[in-house]
Amino acid sequence: MTQEELLTLKADKTVDARGTSCPGPLLAAKKAIGEIEKGQILEVLSADEGTRRDIPKWCNKKGFEYLGTLEESGYYRIFLKK
Amino acid sequence: MANKKLTLALFSGSVDKLTAAGVILGGAAAEDMDVEIFVLLQAAFAFKKENALTNNRVAEITDKQDEFLASLKRLNAPHWTEAFRNAKEMTNVKIHICGFAGKVWNGEKLDDFIDLADDICGIGEYMTSAEQADINLFI
Repeated sequence: MTQEELLTLKADKTVDARGTSCPGPLLAAKKAIGEIEKGQILEVLSADEGTRRDIPKWCNKKGFEYLGTLEESGYYRIFLKK
Repeated sequence: MANKKLTLALFSGSVDKLTAAGVILGGAAAEDMDVEIFVLLQAAFAFKKENALTNNRVAEITDKQDEFLASLKRLNAPHWTEAFRNAKEMTNVKIHICGFAGKVWNGEKLDDFIDLADDICGIGEYMTSAEQADINLFI
């Protein structure tokens, strides 16, 4: 998705993992994905640089759709679809 | 499709290496891997009930131990026992204490170790398990 599309995207669930270091945000994403339905969108907030690369790879392995990342001041908003 | 399998021969009883092991376990848990950990020699010391939370030894860059431990706190990194416990809650992790290692540290019974440990076993168990693993690590 484009950055503009991501800006207007409404997540079904948002998990704030900004207080954790690797692998905290990835584990937060794994927990949260179990709490949404197929087709729904999860947003992960992470201040960890590695997570923005980990989550797309994780999505690819687990069969989820990585939608994109928005860079905010000091953290990332990472979107994926179950 | 069957889960991929990680075996870990965990020799180190130092918090730096145990913390690294906890990070890797987190990655394995995220991917739903089956994990078998074999707690060898010095790691058995760290798994003893009386040592798990008080042992602050580091194996590397020992002159920076205080800085390392302070950084873990600053970064809100979970203690290695918590990282291991999180992984156990999220995926299939079995932790085996090597019987010989247990005896080295006067741990004869499973109850001598923290409750993360599942059983006490011999090295044959590790060999069999490692043969079937997709990833095998020694830390």
